[in-house]
Amino acid sequence: MATDSPLTYPCSLTLDVPFPDARLANVALQALRVDKELSALVQRELSAVDSTLKVQYKATTNRMLRVAVNSFFDSLALVLEVMEQLDVDAIEARKTQEKTG
Amino acid sequence: MDLNKKRRRIALGCEGSANKLGIGIILHEGTSLETSTSTVLSNIRHTFVSPPGTGFLPKDTARHHRSFFVRVALQALSAANITIPEIDCICYTKGPGMGAPLTSVAIAARTLSLLWNKPLVGVNHCVGHIEMGRAITGASHPVVLYVSGGNTQVIAYAEQRYRIFGEALDIAVGNCLDRFARTLEISNDPAPGYNIEQLAKQGGRVLLDLPYAVKGMDCSFSGILTRADELAAHMKNGGKGPDGEPFTPADLCFSLQETIFAMLVEITERAMAHVGSSQVLIVGGVGCNERLQEMMGAMAAERGGSVYATDERFCIDNGIMIAHAGLLAFETGFKTPIEESTCTQRFRTDEVLVKWRK
Repeated sequence: MATDSPLTYPCSLTLDVPFPDARLANVALQALRVDKELSALVQRELSAVDSTLKVQYKATTNRMLRVAVNSFFDSLALVLEVMEQLDVDAIEARKTQEKTG
Repeated sequence: MDLNKKRRRIALGCEGSANKLGIGIILHEGTSLETSTSTVLSNIRHTFVSPPGTGFLPKDTARHHRSFFVRVALQALSAANITIPEIDCICYTKGPGMGAPLTSVAIAARTLSLLWNKPLVGVNHCVGHIEMGRAITGASHPVVLYVSGGNTQVIAYAEQRYRIFGEALDIAVGNCLDRFARTLEISNDPAPGYNIEQLAKQGGRVLLDLPYAVKGMDCSFSGILTRADELAAHMKNGGKGPDGEPFTPADLCFSLQETIFAMLVEITERAMAHVGSSQVLIVGGVGCNERLQEMMGAMAAERGGSVYATDERFCIDNGIMIAHAGLLAFETGFKTPIEESTCTQRFRTDEVLVKWRK
């Protein structure tokens, strides 16, 4: 059998997600890069540069790209919500508010 | 720092392998394995219920878990009334279960671990059920029947492993019940199995003939489900039962329960004879079923033993069992590095080294 030609990934998307600081950008990076992409038709690269999370998606078709990026946004939204509501300072603020409120 | 010298150890556990999102916080006190006590500080759960006639799909279930994670976590923290510095580790369900739901909870657990600078502990869902059952009931050497929508296993502990003596060969007993509830379009609120149990109480006039599929130490449910679905279709078309009289959904539910529970009692008894135990511990969502507990109790009593079961707070999927089993592992030095904090749909119960027991 002839060798298969390597997959090309003509459809790509780059995202720069700003965070309040480098610590939070790194937390997002570490939380989100653990799970591998489900499909071999999609490739992803994540990195943190200062307070920005850089996301690079490549896929074989626009449909695969859209599905993968939408799923990434769902996970990113969860990470952001956890940061906003459950970070150490947020919990502290809630406690202080409960005491005085 | 030797963790076991620390008198109070606290873990937060996150569970989401099926349609229940659970977050619980547990306290272990005491310095030795033999005398340590466990206290539930909080155990909060929110269930994703799909409309009658449908089941829960991975994508929707994951979306539910993402939507409710922060809310449930805040409730758990508030009910436990502890501070973040007091928490020793974050535990999460590594598997087995449904892929997207598992991963959605793992992502949130990793985020907490990084924000709060606490180690992560990946937990086997089945081991969570077993350890919580042991802690709540105090059963010392039981054969464990773990029965839920996703799992059906007969387990006995030996030499630091929970060994599987028998299991369902195709679908779990709870899956059989859940899918039959869809056939009859029974409500999924609070759970399909619960509603089948209530409806079955109104049946009993006739025991319909369903295949009885015990195969040695194992059992099988897909053939029974097929036949039950056929009978349901027959009933809807005005068909009559074996005695020439019409039969009802209640009769179907009754017959299904009697058949599948008798099978579970048989394979449990076989394991008890094999292992020489007279105690049975039932864990998992199907373990809430009082008819199953009654039938198992009758068998255990004949053998001079007894049945141990927990209430719905602990037999239905929950976060506290993940916190408890995770903290037990953490106390032996077990941790999951964040790069390894993936989830897996298949995770055999006997893969876990139960270092916290002799």
